[in-house]
Amino acid sequence: MASRMGLEIMYEEAKDAIEKASDLRELDQIRIEYLGKKGKITSVLKSLGKLSPEERKEIGLVANKVRQNLETDIAEKQEELSRLEIERRLALESVDITLPGRQPVFGNRHLIAKVIQDITNIFIGLGYKIAEGPEIELDYYNFKALNTPADHPARSLQDTFYIKRESIHPSDNDILLRTHTSPVQIRVMKKQGPPVYIIAPGKAFRRDVPDPTHSPMFHQVEGLAVDKGITFGDLKGTLEEFTRQMFGKDRQIRLRPHFFPFTEPSAEVDVSCAVCRGAGCRICGTGWLEILGAGMVDPNVLMEVGYNPEEVSGFAFGMGVERIAMLMYGVPDIRMFFDNDMRFVKQF
Amino acid sequence: MLVPISWLKDYVDFEMAPEELADQLNLTGTAVESIKYLGEGLENVRVGLILDIKPHPNADKLSITTVHIGRPETLEIVCGAKNIKVGDKVPVALIGAHLPNGVEIKPARIRGVTSYGMLCSQAELKVGGDTSGIYILPKDIEVGAPFAQAMGLDDTVLELEITPNRPDSLAIIGIAREVGAITKKKIHKPSINLVESPEKALDYITVEIKDPDLCPRYTARVIRNVKIGPSPSWLAQRLQKAGMRPINNVVDVTNYVLLETGQPLHAFDYDTLREGKIIVRRARKGEHITTIDGILRELDESMLVIADAERPVALAGIMGGKNTEVSSATTNILLESAYFEPKQIMRTSRNLGLLSESSARFEKGVDPNGVDRAAQLIAEVAGGTILEGIIDEYPKRIEPCKLPLRANRVNEILGTKLSLNDIVDILERLELAVDVVTGTNEMWVTVPTFRPDLEREIDLIEEIARIYGYNNIESSLPESSGKQGGLSLQQKIAESIKLRLMASGLSEVITYSLADPRDIDKLQVPEGDSLRWFVKLMNPLSEELSVLRTTLIPNLIKVLKYNVNREQYDVQIFEIGHVFWHEEGKELPDEETMLGIALTGAWKQDEWYEKARNVDFFDLKGVIEAVMDEIGVANWSLRQFNHPMLHPGRSAELLIDDTAIGYFGELHPSAEADFDIPRAYVAELNFNKLIDKARVSAEFSEIPRYPSIDIDIAILVDDLVPNSRVLEIIKSEGRPILEQVRLFDLYKGKGIPEGKKSMAYSMTFRAPDRTLKDEEALDAREKIVAKLSKELGAEIRA
Repeated sequence: MASRMGLEIMYEEAKDAIEKASDLRELDQIRIEYLGKKGKITSVLKSLGKLSPEERKEIGLVANKVRQNLETDIAEKQEELSRLEIERRLALESVDITLPGRQPVFGNRHLIAKVIQDITNIFIGLGYKIAEGPEIELDYYNFKALNTPADHPARSLQDTFYIKRESIHPSDNDILLRTHTSPVQIRVMKKQGPPVYIIAPGKAFRRDVPDPTHSPMFHQVEGLAVDKGITFGDLKGTLEEFTRQMFGKDRQIRLRPHFFPFTEPSAEVDVSCAVCRGAGCRICGTGWLEILGAGMVDPNVLMEVGYNPEEVSGFAFGMGVERIAMLMYGVPDIRMFFDNDMRFVKQF
Repeated sequence: MLVPISWLKDYVDFEMAPEELADQLNLTGTAVESIKYLGEGLENVRVGLILDIKPHPNADKLSITTVHIGRPETLEIVCGAKNIKVGDKVPVALIGAHLPNGVEIKPARIRGVTSYGMLCSQAELKVGGDTSGIYILPKDIEVGAPFAQAMGLDDTVLELEITPNRPDSLAIIGIAREVGAITKKKIHKPSINLVESPEKALDYITVEIKDPDLCPRYTARVIRNVKIGPSPSWLAQRLQKAGMRPINNVVDVTNYVLLETGQPLHAFDYDTLREGKIIVRRARKGEHITTIDGILRELDESMLVIADAERPVALAGIMGGKNTEVSSATTNILLESAYFEPKQIMRTSRNLGLLSESSARFEKGVDPNGVDRAAQLIAEVAGGTILEGIIDEYPKRIEPCKLPLRANRVNEILGTKLSLNDIVDILERLELAVDVVTGTNEMWVTVPTFRPDLEREIDLIEEIARIYGYNNIESSLPESSGKQGGLSLQQKIAESIKLRLMASGLSEVITYSLADPRDIDKLQVPEGDSLRWFVKLMNPLSEELSVLRTTLIPNLIKVLKYNVNREQYDVQIFEIGHVFWHEEGKELPDEETMLGIALTGAWKQDEWYEKARNVDFFDLKGVIEAVMDEIGVANWSLRQFNHPMLHPGRSAELLIDDTAIGYFGELHPSAEADFDIPRAYVAELNFNKLIDKARVSAEFSEIPRYPSIDIDIAILVDDLVPNSRVLEIIKSEGRPILEQVRLFDLYKGKGIPEGKKSMAYSMTFRAPDRTLKDEEALDAREKIVAKLSKELGAEIRA
């Protein structure tokens, strides 16, 4: 039977073993050895009944004290060992953070599509809807309804691609590849009454031999607003809002009078150069970069689609997407857009 | 249109620097393309007089000239040109000159003789295009004077781009009028004082207009006893600065007046006109004319000519004839100034491929007034007497038109608050006469004949806007209540498909809608196939771009090839674009939007964690499945697809609800060979049908509440048994507690008998309303196994 002294020696031994324990498993062995069901301290406590009341009291007191102390010591040691164990694991699991990550494979949007989306998003925010139309058009929608005279140079075989007659159903109307996305205006207005707020992105074709600034196919975004009381001031304000969102808050626009058959008054619109801010530099020359053509819808166009120009008025504008992309991203050659070199496509 | 500032200042006074003037013109609708500073690089060039020319002792082709440049000492200059003679005045570039063409002049020993300068050609000084010899200067020029000043080159020239609606701006006076309107100054036109001889022009010439529709007016004057010779310097210089070559004094005057007033004129050698007659008529079939450019031109009835009693002598409004051209022997002149119908001029000029300064103006409409100015100048510079009377055949009068204009309308269209006075002021500055209807805001505006472009009220509103200044108009935004921006449902689905494709690793490309019909041969497409129903261009640029594409595939293949040729072997792309088919009986050809896909190479190159793997059929199928998932379509199926462009064992047609949507597969080795590309996988789906089939609203389905039981089986079946057949059996036998089945292993080769394959499936069983018992799942498994072995002869592996 353990004496008071014996218990104290037992405690010292246990304490010593706890301190020396190098991992949680060893510590658990020690716990079982002393405090387990058949552990040394447990045995002492179990056999207290065999002692005299005085002894029982004294030994019981000491043994309980030893048990409590051991429990505390083990808990402390356990905490320490857990911490060490985590530290060991962390040290073991360190990686070379400079190795490249496992990237999911991602494709890119074509730059032209991206620029079209940027443009259309701005106009969607201004209350416009996207309208689309065919790339092969009747002369009527592409020219005639847009107030373009029959002998206008743009209609010549030099400038416009025409479709071979025998390859299609004979009709009185010439068929051609649209030279702008403006015919979408006519199609929309013929289908619905005012108000009309649309933006029409798409492909257009002109009979240009490919070179750094020309392409037989290119993209245009056309805009049209027809409503009661639309003014030239509204056109200016709309284009200013577009410019600020598209090119930056500090960019300005300048409208120069111009001539288009389908608008009057008409304007060419310049945006101030990003580099020199309108002062003139090597990139822009004059300080301004031409970005679009615009104007008030000609009354003849409104009448052609059955609108009354005394009741509604409107503005229209059209911009070349490639040109804007070239200006914004510094692309030097329009043909790059259609070569689709992956080293180009993946840049944007 | 080239406008020398010094010339412009003859008609309007302004102080602005050329740059500011250019800005102002730009902002009011006269586009300034460039500003040319003429004197640049000519600082050390002087007028020299050739005193002596002797042969170079050591070179046959060179000579040594002695040149007087107004200083006591003369210069010895070696020269290679042959067109000089003693007494000629020539431009001399002195030592130290930096010529406009970049040449720097230094003393130079040429074959043993030192040359102290250089005699220059027009081209070397960039004052003209002539490179043939030394520029021989007019006789009346001062020796020793700085060349630029002496030649009037201390000037600035504006290069203008005139829009087709503004023929009045194809004249210096027209530009002066614009400057006057901008600067609020009156312009002064040259005053005309003719001294006429008592002889009557009518005794010399009769004019008859056979076709007044095409020639509403023909005016003429006769000038006798002129002396043809070179023009005086001031005249020659002005023409040169405006981009025209001086010819002789009479022709130069007609050109001068053309530039000054915009009115084309023509001078005939009167004595070559048969019977003193001018007849304006249509050409007759079979008639010819040699124009003054020396080209024999065949005429037809669509063309208007000026004829004498016998033959055509000019192509009306386009170019004169050689037979009546003014030459050095000419003494009597018939001067023509007429108005020809613009469309006719344009047609004839296009048909003959002959554009001239004259046709460029007539085809836009000229101001049908004024031959006297030229008569006066000819008398001034070529002597001669002007006969009394102007011949003026004017069968169809062109009157100034009157247009109504409402001030309110001006402000409604422009969004301005211009007063009646503001409006009247602007119009009057443009030389439009305004008559306000008393007590109203309305007016009548009289449009002079030089502004044929002003035909409607809106035309006047534009004039007001541009002179008021577009940039002075206050900006606003439309105040509509009825506008709602946004994408349509179809557009949203299209965008979501595009995003899914990009997220799947495919990059978007855009290729020409125009195609090469021979590409279809390379795709092994048989005759008569709908891919050959080409819409053809009437006027293609080349065979490569001569038809509209009927499929996206060839263009995509060419993108693969373009990249592979540039060592970009891993290309995974898609395009959404139109294809076109010729279809009988329709107003327009069929036009469909397609989604094309092409894959070659690997998704990723070798990485430290994973080796590169080339794409195969199942990568492509995975992309198709991703698209089906994106549009929420479960009811899709595949069917054998036999097309010569595709590998017969690795291709399929896609159907949704039994509607064919498109096809995909590996490109046939023959097509690969014909296009010369590595192994590639392509797909083409009808994009509109995809969007139509999209399930637009997804619905919530209950998340399972009770646990599932997973059981795997591995079977050995004949190699020819398709996965779909196995799945069919598992699904039908597993009902109703089979929730999901998934192929997780497929193995052929070592340990598996020849002609067999091992397939392993993971099956998930679950009941929606209770915890499934193990026995239920095992029973289901037994049923499945029994059926598999009965139907497919499947052997169950451990």
